[in-house]
Amino acid sequence: MTDSHPDCRHARLQIGADPHHLADEVRAHVAGCAACARFLDETRALDGRLRAALELPLAQFRAPAGVRRWATPQWKIAASLLFGLLVGGGVWLATTPPALAGDVVEHIRHEAASWGMHDALPASDVGKVLQAAGVEFDTAMPVVYASACPFRGRTVPHLVVQSAQGPLTVMLLAHEKVTRRTEFEENGFSGVLLPAGEGSVAVLSRGAQVPGPVAHEIVSGARW
Amino acid sequence: MKPASRGTTPGTPFSRLLEMLRPDLVRFALWLARDRAVAEDVVQETLIRAWKSRDELKDPGAARPWLFTIVRREHARLYERKRLPTVDVAEVEALGDPALATDGDAGLLDLRRAIMQLPDEYREPLVMQVLGGFSTAEIASELGLTQAAVLTRLFRARNRLRTLYGLEAVEDVE
Repeated sequence: MTDSHPDCRHARLQIGADPHHLADEVRAHVAGCAACARFLDETRALDGRLRAALELPLAQFRAPAGVRRWATPQWKIAASLLFGLLVGGGVWLATTPPALAGDVVEHIRHEAASWGMHDALPASDVGKVLQAAGVEFDTAMPVVYASACPFRGRTVPHLVVQSAQGPLTVMLLAHEKVTRRTEFEENGFSGVLLPAGEGSVAVLSRGAQVPGPVAHEIVSGARW
Repeated sequence: MKPASRGTTPGTPFSRLLEMLRPDLVRFALWLARDRAVAEDVVQETLIRAWKSRDELKDPGAARPWLFTIVRREHARLYERKRLPTVDVAEVEALGDPALATDGDAGLLDLRRAIMQLPDEYREPLVMQVLGGFSTAEIASELGLTQAAVLTRLFRARNRLRTLYGLEAVEDVE
């Protein structure tokens, strides 16, 4: 057989397209054609490397500086202002997530009544609380409690949303940077701290741990 | 052939399934978008959409291809909705993207760069097949192509990568 033989061309198309799942007629052709058998061996070896190449080492991978994304202008402006304030003021409080979690739990323990709310608040009421803290928050979940609370020297929105899993407390911490997702349990509360731009979002329940997708949905609605 | 269902066994809670599969979803999104930030957003949207539609997943063993399909569609939707600029591969390379980093395996680095530079119409089916475990018929259905067209694209994708692997490119197919 030669490279220009129709059977070879057909076999190589099949091999090159899907080297690990060959039709019977291709297998039969390869069995009698040394050139196509070599092509099959080469292609399968290439595929091994290909799989290894596609398995990107995510731990090593960070978004390179300067790569474009579609962050909202408000986000960029807020992030820039926040960065400027932190650097310009020479203030950077390196707080560990567990300490932050403890402060969040301590705060919500003092507003225990917030868990008992059931009626969705008017959007205008929620908007005032968010505006007071200079943040935005969009969610499809009903917000049943909203308060602009003092927290670590700032004003932060303290919300309770009704989820399918029951009420969840959400604190939008635009000024509290965390580097990674951290789950915690303290004083009967289960919670998670999630990075959100230059800040973080705390989501807590009074029972089981907050489901990951629900927490993701909440954090994706926060903007500052 | 059915798409691979690595680690997705019946009885695994849905939230746990999502956590287990998230790294692979990020990789898949990354190869589609070639931009970490976009990939992260695509996966985030995917997880939200999957959670809302979780009742549609009757077989946990099918979670992987189901989620990969959502990733692909979310990625396409983002480009339609946001009119994102296409990624300039030269720029990605110039930035020395750590995504391409390897543990001292220069050949793997070259291969990653070569995959990054494949045209979308070749890279997408290749990644769906090798990383996603999709069959050629499933890729054809998902991309709205004939199976013959998918075979040609996969052949051409591998043919372009052969030379980087030190192999001679073979005659193209019509």
